[in-house]
Amino acid sequence: MASAVTPLDQPSNYKDSQARVDRQKQHGLLQKSTTLYIGNLSFYTTEEQIHDMFSKCANPEDGGGVKRIIMGLDRHTRTPCGFCFVEFYTHAEALASMRYISGTKLDERIIRCDLDLGYREGRQFGRGKSGGQVRDEHRQDYDPGRGGWGAQAQRLEIERRRQVEERYADAEQGAPIAAGGEEWKQLNAVPAEPTLKRGRSPEDEDESSRQRVRVDEDTGRM
Amino acid sequence: MSYERHGSGHGGGGRRRRRDDYDHYDHHRRETQESPDHKLKAAIIKLGEVDAEQELPQLAAKLLSQEQSSIPAIAEGFRLAYALVYLRPTAEEENGSASIAKPPLGRLILNDFWKGFQAYLDKLAWRETRLCIHFFAHLTVTNLISPQSMLGLLQSFTAVLDDFGVSNGRAKRAARCAMEGLMRAGRVLKEHSATAVQAYNDSLRATKWLVHPLAYMHSPDIPVEHAEHADEILDCAVSALKTLDLSDFLDVSGIFPNQLEALSTETSDDAPIKKEEWPEYMLRLFDNDVTADPKTPAGYAVRAGLIDIIEIFEVNRKECARLLVEYPKWSVKGTFKPRPGSTAEASDHIPLPGRDWQLESTLIETILGAQFLLPESAAKPIYYTTLITELCKLSPQTVGPAVGKSIRKLYAYCANGLDAEVLRRFAEWFSVHMSNFGFQWVWKEWVPDLALPVHHPKRVFVHRALELEIRLSYYDRILKTLPQPFQEPSAGAMPDQAPGPTYEYDDPTAPHYDAAQSVLNQLRSRTKPDDALVHLDTLKNNLAETADIGEDPDTLIRSIAIQSLLHIGARSFSHFLNAVERYLVVLRALSGTLEAKVHVLELVANFWQRSRQMVGIVFDKLMQYQIVEPADVVGWVFAHSAEGLDWDLLRGAVDKANGRVVVARRRVATLRKEDDDAHARAKANSNGDVSDAAAMDVDAETMHDPQVTQAEDSPQLVTALKAYAALTREQKSTLARVLEGFVHTLHSSSDAARRVIAPGAWDGHTSWRDEEWVAWQNWMWYKHFCRAYSPYLRSFVTTLTVVSFASLETASDDGAVLMKRIWGMATGQE
Repeated sequence: MASAVTPLDQPSNYKDSQARVDRQKQHGLLQKSTTLYIGNLSFYTTEEQIHDMFSKCANPEDGGGVKRIIMGLDRHTRTPCGFCFVEFYTHAEALASMRYISGTKLDERIIRCDLDLGYREGRQFGRGKSGGQVRDEHRQDYDPGRGGWGAQAQRLEIERRRQVEERYADAEQGAPIAAGGEEWKQLNAVPAEPTLKRGRSPEDEDESSRQRVRVDEDTGRM
Repeated sequence: MSYERHGSGHGGGGRRRRRDDYDHYDHHRRETQESPDHKLKAAIIKLGEVDAEQELPQLAAKLLSQEQSSIPAIAEGFRLAYALVYLRPTAEEENGSASIAKPPLGRLILNDFWKGFQAYLDKLAWRETRLCIHFFAHLTVTNLISPQSMLGLLQSFTAVLDDFGVSNGRAKRAARCAMEGLMRAGRVLKEHSATAVQAYNDSLRATKWLVHPLAYMHSPDIPVEHAEHADEILDCAVSALKTLDLSDFLDVSGIFPNQLEALSTETSDDAPIKKEEWPEYMLRLFDNDVTADPKTPAGYAVRAGLIDIIEIFEVNRKECARLLVEYPKWSVKGTFKPRPGSTAEASDHIPLPGRDWQLESTLIETILGAQFLLPESAAKPIYYTTLITELCKLSPQTVGPAVGKSIRKLYAYCANGLDAEVLRRFAEWFSVHMSNFGFQWVWKEWVPDLALPVHHPKRVFVHRALELEIRLSYYDRILKTLPQPFQEPSAGAMPDQAPGPTYEYDDPTAPHYDAAQSVLNQLRSRTKPDDALVHLDTLKNNLAETADIGEDPDTLIRSIAIQSLLHIGARSFSHFLNAVERYLVVLRALSGTLEAKVHVLELVANFWQRSRQMVGIVFDKLMQYQIVEPADVVGWVFAHSAEGLDWDLLRGAVDKANGRVVVARRRVATLRKEDDDAHARAKANSNGDVSDAAAMDVDAETMHDPQVTQAEDSPQLVTALKAYAALTREQKSTLARVLEGFVHTLHSSSDAARRVIAPGAWDGHTSWRDEEWVAWQNWMWYKHFCRAYSPYLRSFVTTLTVVSFASLETASDDGAVLMKRIWGMATGQE
């Protein structure tokens, strides 16, 4: 049926301009991507609002769910600047979000979803000169949900955004970001002594080394 | 990705390095777009959008001039074209296909079409098969296919109904194929009747009760007053066919605009869990003179057609909405009322007797009917929600009122036995819909209902809908949309403040404030986990020496540590994840025993008592990080079900347990295949003989000894099999835990649970208090659990019956009988 209409879950012309992977490789990665770039968010939209919306596309009984959300922040002020990444456990969930959520409203703004190559360190931060997103540098209109006027005028509204600002004040460039919990693994009997670190089982070793190899293959040229 | 831009002078400079990749890509795309086959297909598909009468002779000539090699493309083009079922005035198209279907080309196209049909059958692609049959039926009417062979084809579908042990899903689909073929070709196949289908349909009484959206608990039948509020698809088809039969199928041409219908190329997924085994009830919200009555031939055709469009165009909800709004163009004139305001349409409008339906109400009713299908909808509920959003955007003046009326009707159903799961989906749809349209709802008209008991279904809906609205927006925003009576915290509709955390040790005068502060400061300053553990140990010893702490030092230290961890994670979802991952070791150390895990859940629920969403999120991630197990969460849910069962948390736990098995099974399958390939290669290398390896055994009941497989499994496969076996055991124990919980809640502990299912009890429901309503909803959740997870329950039916229903085995009271009956129906034993 896909031949009669264009499915909404195709990659658009959005891309990570700093990705160092060739186009074919990008295409291949997007074919199994579990990550979405979400754009046109209000600066005030919280991760919990995003979680609520996107969990409607989750397939928990298929081993899926919202794995993690990475809020896009202004490089300088450490405040949300209108984008985020939502990572699921499965590709199907990302596609469902493209079909059903992209182009609908969240927090009364029409949000945009795009399949993404996957989060990499540093992408959390805005790339505009002023620290926010590039698009806000060029924006001419007054947009109350995105800090009023473009980049410069934002500074004037700082007091209004105090609460939002404090939330991510502790975000560090280069600090590790939580993964959101991996697939189920066989645990050893949990040690009764609280001071004992969990010993690693040989199965864990196998699994993680296998995974690492696969990840390296995937991202080797990124 | 702007593939197209390349080739117009952008390829120079720094991008040259990657030119090869680009070129390869562009070349590939252009080729697929412009091949003669592709053009042909596009031309046939486009026929629906243009004036077919003018274009047809040209297209026919073009098709006739093609070489034989293009025949598969032509056939596929037709298959796809018919997928745009309702896009064309199809009488012309049928003539068209007749004109090109002259020998020898026509025969070849039909042969290829037939091949496609067989492929769909082989793939068990039922919708495609059914739509093929529509096409064949039309060709039978135009004498391109002989009545004898068509009859034979349809009989082979009704024969399925007599198969020994046929599943309901298979029978239902085969019956629809036969009946919908008959409806179209019945004129020439009069002697064939639908008695086989009717007999089968009559045998489904019990399972129909289980999935009816409005059913009472005390009677195994669907009450007469509910019969008109929902229609089951086979019931409708049988009834529509009877009407046609009585009139010797003379009306057929007035129902189907001779359209040749749809096919699609999607394949179904390979999930081993089948979920389509139920009768399909569509909730009715309007009267038969407002929306299409599916029990009449014309109404059935409209309903079935709309459902097909909704399912096929799920890939693009915007296009789907456009097709739905344009539907009257492709149906017989007079089926729908003219659009309000369109004088041209109104002037030549001649309503057909028994039709003249309202399009928008029919659309919304059909979409909501599909969304509220039990046990689950075909697509995710959110799809139907955003499809309605698109319809509203396309035509706000006409769709808006239909949505409003539907909401009021559903709200009225809440008090009339509406299934708890349908109520849950109703609230979810309502909140997302409102979130897209400025949260404008006329709450005023529901003010009098605030006097009902808190657990009355109407109040449950209001509370739930507002809670979900707050999640999508924020507390103050939603509060502003409500009339004063709804704003009062005492009304129980809105909480008294915005959702947020409750940290027991916030107040400097709170007991153990200093101890909690020291832990909090350590976590805040990102102390190393091992050091944090040492600190907690020291703190515990100090507290233990203090005589008057009043509780077990382990419990106290757990409370302080968990609450402090939640506190630093309370800023946002990702702060929570960061906190958990940094202090995973601490969390594990604090949750070593079963009691400790239960206590952790307790602490989380208390900390987030003002945010049910956060309780759900934290429970979910604690299971993900394997701090607690799904069965622990199930236990917690039932221990706190006095004020109503939290279905969301229960479902989260059951889905987690089931999902892990799915993932583990997939891993085993992948590794098994890798292993088999490796073995085959090794064998081929040694003696040149390639043999098939043993098929993987995934039967859940026999999973206990996974090692009884091939001797030389790779270590990874052995590990994966062990994990699979462990997870399957965990899944079984989680399901058992749920059933035990229900047995305890509904049978052993609650008087109210007995009262509400007594014969005649429902008649007094207007005087029910909270206790009765809670019990009533718990019964519905039990019913929903059994039907929603039926495929999983079936794989463990023997064990679960013995383990979980032991206390009911000899009981013969009403409660026990009802529990066992629902269990029997859901697991296919009744």
